[in-house]
Amino acid sequence: MDRWFLIAATFLALMAGAGGLAVLRHGRRSQWTAWWMIGVFLCQLGYLGIRGEMRAACPLRSIAEIAVFLAWSLTLFYLLVGPMYRISLLGVFTAPLVALFQGFALLPGKLAANPERITGTTHWGETHAAMSVLAYGALALAAVAGVMFLVLDRQLKEHHLKGGLFRFLPPVRELLVSLERLLWLGMFLLTIGLIAGILMPHENPGAWKHVFVATGVWSAYIALMVVKRVRGITGRRFSLGAVALFVLSLVVFAFV
Amino acid sequence: MELVCLGLNHKTAPVEVRERFAVGNTKLGEASLNLLEMVGAPEGVVVSTCNRTEFYLAAESASATMQKLELFLADKVHGHEEPFYRHEKAEAARHLCKVVSGLDSMLLGETEIFGQVKQAYSAAHAAGTTGGILNKLFQKAFSVGKKVRTQTSIQEGSTSIGNVAVELAEKIFGHLKDSEVMVLGAGEMSRLTAQALVSRGAKSVIVANRTHDRAVELAAEMNGRAVRFDDWLPVLKDVDVVISSTGAPHTIIHAEEIESVRRARKFRPLFLIDIAVPRDIDAAVGEIEEVYLYDIDALEQLAEEAKSRRLQQILECEKIIEAELEKLLR
Repeated sequence: MDRWFLIAATFLALMAGAGGLAVLRHGRRSQWTAWWMIGVFLCQLGYLGIRGEMRAACPLRSIAEIAVFLAWSLTLFYLLVGPMYRISLLGVFTAPLVALFQGFALLPGKLAANPERITGTTHWGETHAAMSVLAYGALALAAVAGVMFLVLDRQLKEHHLKGGLFRFLPPVRELLVSLERLLWLGMFLLTIGLIAGILMPHENPGAWKHVFVATGVWSAYIALMVVKRVRGITGRRFSLGAVALFVLSLVVFAFV
Repeated sequence: MELVCLGLNHKTAPVEVRERFAVGNTKLGEASLNLLEMVGAPEGVVVSTCNRTEFYLAAESASATMQKLELFLADKVHGHEEPFYRHEKAEAARHLCKVVSGLDSMLLGETEIFGQVKQAYSAAHAAGTTGGILNKLFQKAFSVGKKVRTQTSIQEGSTSIGNVAVELAEKIFGHLKDSEVMVLGAGEMSRLTAQALVSRGAKSVIVANRTHDRAVELAAEMNGRAVRFDDWLPVLKDVDVVISSTGAPHTIIHAEEIESVRRARKFRPLFLIDIAVPRDIDAAVGEIEEVYLYDIDALEQLAEEAKSRRLQQILECEKIIEAELEKLLR
């Protein structure tokens, strides 16, 4: 049943992305993207509820579960941030990423049909896992905002100002402000996750490697934000930094 | 009862004729009353804007009413070519719908006309010169005007250089209330462009001109401040938009100057509008990451593209008007 919820959530995310882009090609903005994404979120909740019951804990034990939790976190932040900052087209850019994460989890053999029940969890361990993945949801959305900036920046630089994409993308300054706020939010959550990760019991030395890598990612993000605050950085480099760090952190954690 | 419309506009009459027919906003009701007295029709509305004056009447006989109206207006066109256009019955209704939709305007698709016609109708309605026929006609025209604007792209895109600049500035900075504008050269084009930005809420304007008195004058006009022309570079660290239109025979802003203030600006986006010919800003400046540089050709091209997109929409608008008129006249 959890898999069906995930399939439905992935289908809805694809509809949100493809539908939004199709409408954009006709020079209009889809009014349905947010509704599709609410559907995605509800299906994700269905999946997480069932999976959580099966695991008897937060379902964050396999890479596929982490990918789905990340997709949920990304959707959650999209639903919170999109209307708050009136970032139009955020859904059209977010939906494909959500579909990608969930599609990965749906690959054969990735998501165990009968996962083991988790025993012996600690509060620190649970906090570490949940906060870290939530943080990556915010950081993923920051990367999405970064991609939106890069698209708009290129259009403005090259004077290619026709079409729905240009018309409906939010202004440069607003995208950069949203990007920075999302990074701060992500870093706040990641800091809690990291502290919990340090405090949780580490039974094998490999677990420390994970903490070191997480600290490295955290430091890289902090460096980017301090540079932005103190010295200043062009919007293009800031956005590229946010996108590159997110992709890099995903790649690193896939192997650690 | 039959509909009659007689009018003159920017296409049929020069300004010296149009001004003879112009009616102030506060006199529109009174003008409608006078119109009814003169032609003896039961219903009438006078529409008057800077580009047009039109008389709409509902009367028993369209041709007889038209003759009386022409006779009444003949004196005012003395010495000039016949400036009027005439529409009767369904054609008059069609014309009003086109006017309200901005299809007959000097600036195709402009929205101001909608409010101006509404104001004229309200004044006539308040003066008691409208009845069943004209009420129905004008209400229909307003609903058609709204439909045309929401269902087509007739009003999208800016068609003047000043408005293109404003649209781009808003795409870069969002609300302009936090944006500072610097004007280099106090010519007419830079004044118009700066005014367009100020009208959209730009925080402040700084003017630098080789003749400092002229800079002071323009700055005062826009509630801004003037700086000496040699001092524009230190000011650049605080501004977001630069409009340059000096008469210099060579470029005055180069990549080195912008590079020298990038750190102080913390690499914030900078929008440079070069409306001078020959150009004031070296094209290499546009290569700097956070700089968005638009010269007069780029702005003109964008305005032309918007105009052409609007022209392509005319057919769509006319389809809507015909469908709605069919419902009205059924």
